[in-house]
Amino acid sequence: MNVLKIIEYLRGKATLLKMAFFLFLGALVLLDILLPREDAHYFVDKIYAFWTFFALAGCFLLIKISKGIAHFFLSKDEDYYG
Amino acid sequence: MDRWIHPALFFFLGALLLPLFKGKVKKGFILLIPAVSILSVALARYGMYGTYHFLGVEGLFGRVDKLSMVFAWVFVIMAFLGALYALHREEDGHHMAGFFYVGSALGAVFAGDYLTLFIFWEIMAFSSVFLIWYRKEKKSIEAGFRYLLFHVFGGLLFFSGMMLYYYKTGSFVFDSILPANASWPEYLILAGFALNAAVLPLHAWLPDAYPEASVEGAVFLCAFTTKTAVYVLARGFSGFEILAIMGTAMTVFGVCYAVIENDIRRVLAYHIISQVGYMVAGVGIGTAMAVNGAAAHAFAHILYKALLFMGAGSVLYMTGTAKLSRLGGLYKYMPLTMIFYVVGAVSISGFPLFSGFVSKSMIISAAHHEGRIWLMSLMNLAGIGTFLSVGLKVTYFAFFGKEAAEPLPAKEPPLNMLWAMGLTALLCFIIGVFPQTLYILLPFPVEYHPYNLSHLSETMQILSFTGLVFYLLVKTLSPEVKINLDVDWFYRKGALLFMKFDEKVIAPFDTLWGELYRTLGLSALFKNAELSYTFDRKAIDGVVDGTAYSVMDFGAVVKKLQTGRIQTYIGLSLFLFFALLWLIL
Repeated sequence: MNVLKIIEYLRGKATLLKMAFFLFLGALVLLDILLPREDAHYFVDKIYAFWTFFALAGCFLLIKISKGIAHFFLSKDEDYYG
Repeated sequence: MDRWIHPALFFFLGALLLPLFKGKVKKGFILLIPAVSILSVALARYGMYGTYHFLGVEGLFGRVDKLSMVFAWVFVIMAFLGALYALHREEDGHHMAGFFYVGSALGAVFAGDYLTLFIFWEIMAFSSVFLIWYRKEKKSIEAGFRYLLFHVFGGLLFFSGMMLYYYKTGSFVFDSILPANASWPEYLILAGFALNAAVLPLHAWLPDAYPEASVEGAVFLCAFTTKTAVYVLARGFSGFEILAIMGTAMTVFGVCYAVIENDIRRVLAYHIISQVGYMVAGVGIGTAMAVNGAAAHAFAHILYKALLFMGAGSVLYMTGTAKLSRLGGLYKYMPLTMIFYVVGAVSISGFPLFSGFVSKSMIISAAHHEGRIWLMSLMNLAGIGTFLSVGLKVTYFAFFGKEAAEPLPAKEPPLNMLWAMGLTALLCFIIGVFPQTLYILLPFPVEYHPYNLSHLSETMQILSFTGLVFYLLVKTLSPEVKINLDVDWFYRKGALLFMKFDEKVIAPFDTLWGELYRTLGLSALFKNAELSYTFDRKAIDGVVDGTAYSVMDFGAVVKKLQTGRIQTYIGLSLFLFFALLWLIL
């Protein structure tokens, strides 16, 4: 088995993989809506596709806030400490 | 079997005997030691072994129970994998430091009292620093000294707490402490433990030192210090609310830094803080399921984090850099390394079928069961950051992305490194597919099934939509040739500031004071001396000399009366007699 060939093959099918990925995302949301919720206690269990929204908002904020703070004062040149 | 050989003994003896061997026999010996220790752990039966008396104190070397055994198992397995990964290293000292480090970590895990624990705790700090110094670069040597300084401080916190605890209770026995009974001594011990677990704000030593360690040393370092700390926290301080909060804060703090860091090993180091945060939070929540989760996650984490450090180490070893800004397109040259790294990355991210999924979720579920929804949500947020930085950012920018500007001299690492990565990856997969192999080792009997529909749905939504955001914001995440400040700034720049303060304020003040003393103090002293001299000459000497001269003059008068003639003496005596008589009457 040539690992490199498989990777190159998959890279050649990038558009197809992208489409499959988006379909998969849709399926995940659908599955979560269809999931039985009889033992849901808290709001995180009750809201449909809660973790989808959580991941979208969480990931976006995590990147923006971390990068923002870094650019604001945390980032320094590599020889900062000499 | 009532006798048991402590596995630490093999490592200590092995380290001392190692220089006696040469060539292939030495390589075999390096693998034999952890292999024999695995056997020793496999043969161990629960019980108390090796009670000793020292200076009127009772110590215990071997407390073998479920909690210590789960850590001992992963420590000896990791020691074998780490030794295999480091097999190509020629220096005996590196292997010896590794053996002493693993041995002392095992000693700490089996210790039944604070005194024994403290001794192994300190050996651990002093042996592990050599794994940093063996990188043999100026930065590593400096980072090593800072690491040592920090751990000596942590050891002092622990030691002072331990002595106060003895003063309070009259005992060194190391056992579970109830939060209600805790006061200064217990909190000092807790602070000492927390420093080794890299609990905020005592964490900066970790991302400062680990990325500067030798390629092979970092694989050992990432496994033992923090996890020994998790063990002692689980043993002594489960149910402490502060740990639940600080642990959760660590999970998010670590991933925020991982998002902005450029060096792969620094990204991974911040992820140790994040992952240990889950364990600390589990210990803090304190229920049977949460402590089980902490132990399970420590087990899984040691393996996948070692695998990630092995992958990053291989990249550094082969290309000479671990900076994402200088890497790219490595899948062409190191495809196997990439696959093993990705197994580590999906394991840490908690993908179904890999180890993180069955361990991390136990802690998150425990928080959910207890109604700690905020803790649960923040831990899931950290999960997003984990997949984002370790899974996507590093994989994309190192192995795919743009080809590096300057061609990298990259190919797969030596065979022993590949085997070590392959075996570790296999273990991550086995634990993920057969979680019962891990669950039977856990300290409490708890029914937990990670593969249920709602948990699968939650995990897949979090991971997949993180992937979507990464796809949309990949440019924002481009690595930058920068370093990021952390609280180590306070003692790194703080020390320099102090030096400046010394140079600009203390030293001039000292000079001024010297000058003042020279001009005012010294001249006053001279004046005083002169006065004393004059007083001595004129007053003291005058009195003494005057008396002497009077005695001399009187002597001269008396001398004249000494004629040697008896009639003169008789006449003089009569004269004195009548003079006295006249005076009296």
